[in-house]
Amino acid sequence: MRLEMGTFPVTDIAFGRTTRYDAGRLTVDPDAVLAAVRQDPRIASAALEIAKPGESVRIWPVRDVIEPRVKVEGPGVCYPGICGREIATVGDGRTHRLAGMGVVEVSSVNWHDAGGDFVETYLDMSGHYGEMYPYQKLLNLCLVVEPDSTLNEEVKNYAVHKAALTVADQLGEAVRALTPPEREIFELTPVDPKLPKVVYIWCVHSPQAMSGSPSAFCTATYGLTQLTPPWYLHPNEILDGALTGPYRTAFAMSWTVANNPLFLDLYRRHGRDWNFLGVISLRTEWTTQTEKQLMANQTAKLAKQLGAQGAVVTWDAGGNEFIEVVRSIQACERLGIKTVFLTSEDDATDGAPTMLEPLPEADAIVSTSFFKNVTLAVPEAPAVARVIGLPTRKILRGSTIGLHAGADGTIPTKGPLPPPWRYDDHYGFGSLSCIE
Amino acid sequence: MGGPLRVVHYVNQFFGGIGGEDQAHVGVSVRDGAVGPGRILEKALGDDARVVATIVCGDNFASESEVEASRAIGAELERIKPDVLVAGPAFGSGRYGLACALACKVAQGRGIPAVTAMHPENPGASNARRGIYIVPSGASTTSMQAALDALAPLARRLGRRETLGPSEVEGYMPRGTRRVHDRGRPGHQRALDMLLDKLHGRPYRSEVPYAAPERVSPAPPIADLSRARIAMVTTGGLVRKGNPDRQVSANAVRYHRHPVAELESLSPTEWEAYHAGYFNHIVNSNPNYILPLSFLRDLERQGKVGRVHEQIYALPGVSTPVAVSAGHGRSIAEDLKAGGVDGALLVAT
Repeated sequence: MRLEMGTFPVTDIAFGRTTRYDAGRLTVDPDAVLAAVRQDPRIASAALEIAKPGESVRIWPVRDVIEPRVKVEGPGVCYPGICGREIATVGDGRTHRLAGMGVVEVSSVNWHDAGGDFVETYLDMSGHYGEMYPYQKLLNLCLVVEPDSTLNEEVKNYAVHKAALTVADQLGEAVRALTPPEREIFELTPVDPKLPKVVYIWCVHSPQAMSGSPSAFCTATYGLTQLTPPWYLHPNEILDGALTGPYRTAFAMSWTVANNPLFLDLYRRHGRDWNFLGVISLRTEWTTQTEKQLMANQTAKLAKQLGAQGAVVTWDAGGNEFIEVVRSIQACERLGIKTVFLTSEDDATDGAPTMLEPLPEADAIVSTSFFKNVTLAVPEAPAVARVIGLPTRKILRGSTIGLHAGADGTIPTKGPLPPPWRYDDHYGFGSLSCIE
Repeated sequence: MGGPLRVVHYVNQFFGGIGGEDQAHVGVSVRDGAVGPGRILEKALGDDARVVATIVCGDNFASESEVEASRAIGAELERIKPDVLVAGPAFGSGRYGLACALACKVAQGRGIPAVTAMHPENPGASNARRGIYIVPSGASTTSMQAALDALAPLARRLGRRETLGPSEVEGYMPRGTRRVHDRGRPGHQRALDMLLDKLHGRPYRSEVPYAAPERVSPAPPIADLSRARIAMVTTGGLVRKGNPDRQVSANAVRYHRHPVAELESLSPTEWEAYHAGYFNHIVNSNPNYILPLSFLRDLERQGKVGRVHEQIYALPGVSTPVAVSAGHGRSIAEDLKAGGVDGALLVAT
């Protein structure tokens, strides 16, 4: 597979009469873009707003941030399989992307209705809380969208996400025929056989166990969210969006998956520091111990069969999932694959181990600090001048932020607002860590 | 601080030359100078340090008569006033590891710096790790020299009241003081640096050193279930319908106790699940999945179980920090004990 990635840096964004890109300035025709969104009868309301770095703006709540990418040459479409898009294998040919911007999916739709798993991520375009995330530096085009309220949760999820992808597609079309200012070739070329062979074991959450549905909306591989045995993905497939967000953490957005710095550095150092063999993607939150161990064994076996001598492992979720992740590391080490684990840490109060299941084989861990904002002692985000999205946050029954609620059970999203439960820098964007 | 560093060495009955397992009951005694491994320790410490005394104590005595042992060790340390206490190494021996940790705690409680060495999976390292300097060693005595070579420089520096750097730099095991730290270089770059070092066999330092989880010894089996009082505890997030107690779905700061003396079974019209970690609908259709009251009542009727305890305990076991969970566990256990409960069914999800 050979992929030419053409990058169009976006340095300013504004509404105008036609959607077009000119020397960094992206003009968006909101009527035309929204007309495309409204073609889907499941959409009840849709509006576009722009949020720029440094503004006193809060986007509440954020379900996903998507980087517009368009397939210019070669089979398939970018972000394949999601919301009914075609599933032709991607990764070949030419792709154009709009860099430095995000399409933000803003909606009250929750992930599913089968437990207390809520959409609670938000984004501040200025201030200490927003600074912790890469999205604050982006020019953000926000789609505030609500579906037909009579639909079930799963259909609602796909409707609003499809709407956000439609916006991204409309922007991508604007650069399809243009000559990209920056180009980069991605290819797993033959390299010096002496270089060590490495794989990236990229673990992503599946909502199947928790939602009770194999098709619940979440992080997807070619649109599939269900629990599946480990996948082998060519890194070019990922560059074309074969692996996407979002999930309940701010660092599991589609933008973050597409711009994962660990993945990109690993790929760019192919032929120099190592022979990058590709990505093994493991879906997590298997239910039984047997399933977890089986997935760990199979992940390690696949790595070994590919010829891996080294592996770097990341994951994107809470606690349960940790077992198959850390057992995969153990299984790799037992097959002689030298493994590094990039992870956040759990609460260390009273000297508790911060790895849910500490294993001696996991002897090379890089920490991206505590995963909870409360452990990191992140202060409340101050009040802002403007909110994009919902003006109030409904306090869910039993929510830990219930104390802030007014008599009607809501709090104004304008703030001040406590940070969401999770921080969790899955891919090492930042330099925060822990020490003792 | 003139003169050589004054070191007291703590060892068990075996390394103190008293005897093996048959002598594990012996109390605290003191010998002048170094004994057994203390001689290797003295060499490892160098010319400017001396093992002035060796405290010997039986492993069983230290674990079974902890208060008495602590008092005796404390009294000897008060008398000798060393610059530093070295305990062990205990290698993989569990009771010895716990005794070494105890000796270190006693010394530190009197303002005397202390350091020990043992295998990372020794219960002394996992249970008593907090606040103590422990150097990781091998599991057997064959690693004696290596363990003492690693321990000696730390003992010297602690004895001279130097402040040690972070555990990952100094080589001791984490002491339960983990905190946020900006490493100044993005995590993804550090991970790839570490990968390259590991691939090429160069030294690398894990940012999260292995810390063995605490091991809990299970209670002995119930001799006669037909006379036993059995309680039920669920971490499945069982709440009364509509969650009137406003329990959270994750990160529980409290648990709830509900009376079930009048109930034969949990009805879905009265109970439901509120838990952010699994598919709640199944339990909402039959709450007995996470608290099998109906099944336990059957066993009670058949005389296989003496009595079902009148109270149940419920909380969502998800995202709760270990320290908070341990607090809930202790509190529930005390309550069960006070209620004359012989056994408890812990129902997970």
